[in-house]
Amino acid sequence: MLQFVIAGLVLGGIYAICSAGLVITYTSSGILNFAFGAMAFFIARFYYFLNTQHTWPILPAAILSILIAAPALGVALYFGLFRFLRLSSPMIKVVATIGLLVAIPAAAVLIFGNQAIQSAPGLAPQPVAVYQVFGVAVTLDQVIVYACVLATVIAGALILRYTDVGLKVRAMVDSPAMTDLSGTNPTFISVGVWAVSTLFAGLAGVLAAPIVGLDPDKFTVLIAASFAAVVAARLRNLSVAVIVALLMGIATSLIEGYLPPSSTYTTEFIDAVPFIVVAIVLIYELLRRGRVGETSGFGGALDRAITPQGESRLAGSTSSVVETASLGFFAKYAGPILLIGAVAVVPLIVQGYWVGVMAAGFAYAVILLSWTIVTGEGGMLWLCQITFAGVGALTTAQLANNHGWPVLLAVLAGGVVALLMGVVVGLLSIRLGDLYVALVTLTFGLLMENLVFTLPSFVNQGLGLTLNRPGFATSDRAFAYLCLAAFVIIALFIVNFRRSTTGLALNAARWSEAGAKTSGISVVQQKVIAGALAALIAGIGGGLFALSQTTFQPSEFATFEGVVWLAVLVTWGVRSNAAALLGGVSLALLPAITQNYLPTWTSNVTPVLFGLGAVSAARYPDGVLAEQSRRLRRLLLQLRPRSGGTDMPDLTLAGSDVGQVAPARMVEQIS
Amino acid sequence: MIPAPSETAPSVEAATPALAASGITVRFGGLTALDAVSLEVQPGKIAGLVGPNGAGKSTLLAVLSGLLRPNSGEVFLHGHDVTNASCRSRSRRGLARTFQQPELFMGLTVREHLMLAHRARVAPRRLWRDMLDPRSLLPPGKEECERVDQLLELLRLTRVEKAPVAALPLGISRLVEVGRALASEPNVLLLDEPLSGLDIKASENLLAVFRQIVDQPGHEVSLIMVEHDVAAVLSLSDIVFVLDFGERIAVGPPEVIRNDPAVRAAYLGDTDPEPGPPAEAAPARGDPA
Repeated sequence: MLQFVIAGLVLGGIYAICSAGLVITYTSSGILNFAFGAMAFFIARFYYFLNTQHTWPILPAAILSILIAAPALGVALYFGLFRFLRLSSPMIKVVATIGLLVAIPAAAVLIFGNQAIQSAPGLAPQPVAVYQVFGVAVTLDQVIVYACVLATVIAGALILRYTDVGLKVRAMVDSPAMTDLSGTNPTFISVGVWAVSTLFAGLAGVLAAPIVGLDPDKFTVLIAASFAAVVAARLRNLSVAVIVALLMGIATSLIEGYLPPSSTYTTEFIDAVPFIVVAIVLIYELLRRGRVGETSGFGGALDRAITPQGESRLAGSTSSVVETASLGFFAKYAGPILLIGAVAVVPLIVQGYWVGVMAAGFAYAVILLSWTIVTGEGGMLWLCQITFAGVGALTTAQLANNHGWPVLLAVLAGGVVALLMGVVVGLLSIRLGDLYVALVTLTFGLLMENLVFTLPSFVNQGLGLTLNRPGFATSDRAFAYLCLAAFVIIALFIVNFRRSTTGLALNAARWSEAGAKTSGISVVQQKVIAGALAALIAGIGGGLFALSQTTFQPSEFATFEGVVWLAVLVTWGVRSNAAALLGGVSLALLPAITQNYLPTWTSNVTPVLFGLGAVSAARYPDGVLAEQSRRLRRLLLQLRPRSGGTDMPDLTLAGSDVGQVAPARMVEQIS
Repeated sequence: MIPAPSETAPSVEAATPALAASGITVRFGGLTALDAVSLEVQPGKIAGLVGPNGAGKSTLLAVLSGLLRPNSGEVFLHGHDVTNASCRSRSRRGLARTFQQPELFMGLTVREHLMLAHRARVAPRRLWRDMLDPRSLLPPGKEECERVDQLLELLRLTRVEKAPVAALPLGISRLVEVGRALASEPNVLLLDEPLSGLDIKASENLLAVFRQIVDQPGHEVSLIMVEHDVAAVLSLSDIVFVLDFGERIAVGPPEVIRNDPAVRAAYLGDTDPEPGPPAEAAPARGDPA
């Protein structure tokens, strides 16, 4: 028993440091840092680079990586990104950190090299000393973890509770504006908070490396597990987060000890512990009060008052709304139609291998459309679309292979199965708020990935499940056009959806819950519809993708790969069907190009670029495509001698500056 | 002045009040925002709800519209107990409201706001069924367009009907909210400071609209209006409720309220010969908020 508790406290301690870092930045800036694991990986990789690759002694390597490089990374990210996010919508905040989550590990590989690392040393000298405590073997690595957890928890509590700095941080959490007025510089405090948080990330990374290995995916899973503690702490309560984290570690260790070690289900169940904790907490919260206030708590009345009108609520999308509304049918749809037409010609021009790449790209594009509806229209960030795609592919394979269904019918059925899962996930998470939607979908994705996709009958000794394309589309070219046809049908459905009452009501639910409810619209119903439709689309896309590869390979549907997909789509634009097509094609094409024509190291450049693209959502929430087409439209309007369109930017300005403009004049301007 | 029900026997003349609340208590932690407040509005009447800042007026509207559950007390809509009913089911029974800070749908145009609210009330199934109907790409039905056109005209919003609301100034946003509320064909309409941010002409127009809505034959609408412009409230209302620190300190027809000593002490200013808004509590009519 004792030995399991001691071992469990190590994992729990690392969870605790992570959750403390997450809670600190969430409470002080409203940013739930999905990139925390990526930051931890970066610092751990840097420590390995110094200590192992360049044989630095432990102490200077640890000081340089954990105490200097980590806070420096935090400060740099604050000035480069986080300070612009303070007043952004929760969705943009999450998207930006997800961009970092994609970019940072790839950047680490570019900087530190691409060798596979079998085992990484911790902070204890090698070989690691082992002590006997009450008859239980304890390694020096474990002792160091305990010491670090104790130090961070005690020092953190003392500093927050009793020092002047702690008082300022707590004041800042309550109201940045009031803190500013009372003579404390909020920037100074924010920089400090981010520095401390990345220091925690670095510390957790270096401590975790000997346990989980130096692999970015494993790191992010570790941090995703810490999210469980953060969710249990309702994102805010530091001590609850630490206690739940420690208990989770112990529970994991106990289960490990008492379940039969030979069973594959044991390891899977252990991986699932944090996600089971999340599920329990969410169900408890749902039953208890129905809603967890995530945005209401940040800042005081003054902060809300000084929030620039529009910026926090509109997520920057108004300008495009204003512009597109003024355009006629031709100007609105000519661009996308031309673009889709141009892409459609490509499979006719290219040959052989590249036709297959395009087919996969079109299948990706179908999957990306699921975000166009749930994020672009619904304003929610679902992080498990790749899981729905996997479910669709898996169902397709099962029905077509084992039950003799016609394969396209099986693809549709796969979509329906995904839809049902989408309804369940939506009902569980949407009531709690948008941030929880992101957390729950991420958890769901990891759970499915660990519990279902790893089942031996699906993995099939690494071969996956073979699939046969429908008879009329066995060639790559025919299949590419089948996927493109599916894309066009779904895109038309989305265009119709946007203009339908359902789409209008979803828009209402997105922008004002109070306004929607009191107008007789159920916010949960509309958002669940959006989530379910998105799951359906992703499921169909997943089936098509598996058919394009002619196998269902579970490892292709890893949750974090899906995060990369999201980053790609956000870069191109999450509100546009054409952007989904470009995103899908670039997802297939760029790796193929780097593999075939460019040096291997360039394969890590694309994730960095797409990660940064998602980060830039902080500035251009509508993506590259919308931004460029907006510029193009402006240029065209300027070239046209007629007046009318060019005063649109003024209009947006005037709207945010109500006091200066008499309403009558505004009406003049608008009409 | 229309004869108003007296304080002692408000429900004598009509069988069922359009909206009634009894003993509403709301506590936020240690703060009691509303302390056993009761209110009753007859069909086709205008009720004013006044009181200094922090009196609990907006909290009361939140309870009446279903956004906030009271710690105790009951709410009845046309005699039905709706205390635990959702906003949506209250809306289906004909309750609509506007907000102090307009709660508009930033991606929609003015016209779409009215259309959506209209459909949500008269054809709620379209909220989920329309996505499967390719006719969404066609122009909307004639009857619906007529109703929306009529409301746009009434509120003088026709010129901005195609403008996305994100670009509208506060005064016009308020009119859009009123239009959205009216488009849902309400029989009880809650208005939270509808006049603030409007210039004199616009607020006179809006007051005339309110009068018109209440007086239209065949469709009785009750209004409950929270407003700092006391002169406007007293001139328009049939009955006035005065709140202070979460308690109802007075109720009665405007002329009674105007001379009520407790109200004058708490809100109107004891020395003021003519009732008017106190300086710190009320933005003047036409002030940009």
